[in-house]
Amino acid sequence: MSRRAALAGGAATAAGFAARRARAQAGAPLKIGYGLPRTGYLGVASPVAEQAYLLWGEQVNAAGGLAIAGGGRRHVQFVSYDDQSEPSKTAEIYEKLISDDAVDLLLAPYGTPFHIAIAPVIERNRFPVVAAATLSSLLRDMHMRHMWFPQPLPDAYGVILAAFLAAQGVKSASLLTLQLPASLETRKYLLPQLSSRGISVALDQDYPNSTADMTGMVSAVRQAHADAVICLSYPQDSVLYVGTARELGITTPVQLLLIGPGEPFFVKKFARADLEGILTIGEWTPDQARWPRARAFNDAYVARWKEPPDYLDSTVSYASCEILAQAVAQVGLDHDAITAAMDSMAFDTVKGPIKFRGVENISTQPGLLQFQSGALQIVWPPDIATARFRPKTGWSL
Amino acid sequence: MTWQLLLSACVSGALYAVIALSLNLIYGTMRLLDVAHGEFVMVGAFAGYFLVTLLGVPPVLALLGAFALNGLAGLVLYQWLFAGIIRRARSTESLESTSLLVFFGLSVILQNGAALAFGGTPRAYERYARIVHVGGVAITGNRLVAMAACVLAVVAVLVFFARSTWGLAIRALIANRDAAAIVGIDTQAAFRLTCVLGFGLAGYAGAVIGLMQPVSPFMGGQYLMIGFVIIVLGGVGKLVGSVVGGVLIALLETVGTQLTGPNYRDILIYGTFIAVLLLRPQGIFGRHAA
Repeated sequence: MSRRAALAGGAATAAGFAARRARAQAGAPLKIGYGLPRTGYLGVASPVAEQAYLLWGEQVNAAGGLAIAGGGRRHVQFVSYDDQSEPSKTAEIYEKLISDDAVDLLLAPYGTPFHIAIAPVIERNRFPVVAAATLSSLLRDMHMRHMWFPQPLPDAYGVILAAFLAAQGVKSASLLTLQLPASLETRKYLLPQLSSRGISVALDQDYPNSTADMTGMVSAVRQAHADAVICLSYPQDSVLYVGTARELGITTPVQLLLIGPGEPFFVKKFARADLEGILTIGEWTPDQARWPRARAFNDAYVARWKEPPDYLDSTVSYASCEILAQAVAQVGLDHDAITAAMDSMAFDTVKGPIKFRGVENISTQPGLLQFQSGALQIVWPPDIATARFRPKTGWSL
Repeated sequence: MTWQLLLSACVSGALYAVIALSLNLIYGTMRLLDVAHGEFVMVGAFAGYFLVTLLGVPPVLALLGAFALNGLAGLVLYQWLFAGIIRRARSTESLESTSLLVFFGLSVILQNGAALAFGGTPRAYERYARIVHVGGVAITGNRLVAMAACVLAVVAVLVFFARSTWGLAIRALIANRDAAAIVGIDTQAAFRLTCVLGFGLAGYAGAVIGLMQPVSPFMGGQYLMIGFVIIVLGGVGKLVGSVVGGVLIALLETVGTQLTGPNYRDILIYGTFIAVLLLRPQGIFGRHAA
């Protein structure tokens, strides 16, 4: 064989290897990591978020993979771990996802303390994460650069809740606050707003997470005779409140529960007449015609998981995936480029359009939902409302 | 309002009494430190839930179904696991420490197994939801049914242990295992029966909880803690002590927090627990070891 022929053969072989490597890289699945509490005290709450992630991944793969700027499409492969409801484990998991698993992208953990726990990890690694199921202004106030919040923050809910109460002519409110972060922060921002609108606080009682009976507290609510009851609760005590308020015949026309009514089990636990009129925070329903993808997401979620999505956690978790996907489609997988895109892009999500200023979503108006005829409707603010507020008229007999 | 609080305390107290009775039976009779007891309650809650929602069994019968399923599980566990542990134990201390590890493992397996099998999302159903008025006090029908079911179970258990031969045999085992064996009590058979009753009652209590509250794989922990506090209060092996301890804890939880504030719940419960440990370590109904 001549030298020329040998060189030509070698070059052809090298070119073949390079092409195969490029094809392999292009065909390799995109690794997306996250940690969620599958066990421990939050194991009961997180499935609604993980189900949204899994649905999104399945839909992306069914569509041929995630579009990457300049790189075609790649299938999504999740790398996930159980953080056992321990924030310190979440930080370790995200460190491992970045360094050992070498994931391409990250999705958010579940719950405020867990977002706080991963903050140093993602800031140190300059790894962009779109937050999901968290309700805290703390992270915004920590001046993070690599985490963005699609969900309105507690200070925003404080403003609109007070505005709503004032619009209903409420002069006094009873507050019951669970001693967990989202509730305490909401109370912190709500109290000055109530004061500024001239709404007095007839009862202000907080209670521990171990509370198993609310008879005493709801009795105090009854004796306070306020125009509104604001129970800043989580799902388990939301159930306790409804059961006890029904027994004690709390007929206050405005009764709000912070978290719980949007969860699928809540509708199964109570008769329609008991749910009717209950308020909760949230600004999403599949009935909001201005967000055409909301209904499609709802139907796909119901078809996949045989239950409706949680109106807070499922939707924001799915929206966080959409935001990340749209950024990647625009700028590719470079983390600095994704970070820059978060500042400049506007995103189209199942929660409607989202645009960040700093790390805060400035497009989504925080809202209030109310059970009407068995379904949750947006009743505040008026410009995104899907129904008018109806005072709660009582309970089933 | 006082009557409303007292009625709520009765509902919780009856439930706590059943849980504490079941735990006390297992620990008092066999000295098995069942830290998976909350998970056995959870298994019963799921059994009740599926019997009602999938098979359409009336909730009251589902309580018995949960008892039977958990009791059977207890029997199988005794045959395959606990009998060997008890036989190999050199002392009560070694039995307690070995069983603690075994039950810890069971707890993890049951909790994660349930999470894998059923998902972590809470499940709930609505039955007996009408408001019932008892002497002018309103209560949801399912809470009334739950209380009645627990009272019936407690009475049945106490009568069984006071009147039946096997009940007396198990009480003899609780009092002094060696002496009971010497007088001819079949300890193996008594242990088997204790497992059926103890784990069965835990399942029954779980199904009762499912009548009132959502069920989830992670619901058991709080009931385990309450169960242990009550049996320490009432006295290890003291069945009547479990009933009185259950009612006492429920009163602290409802009436006590009404008088002091919700934030004092844990202080009241665990403060009383520590006070009893300091002043009367054998429990309210316990006797000093000879």
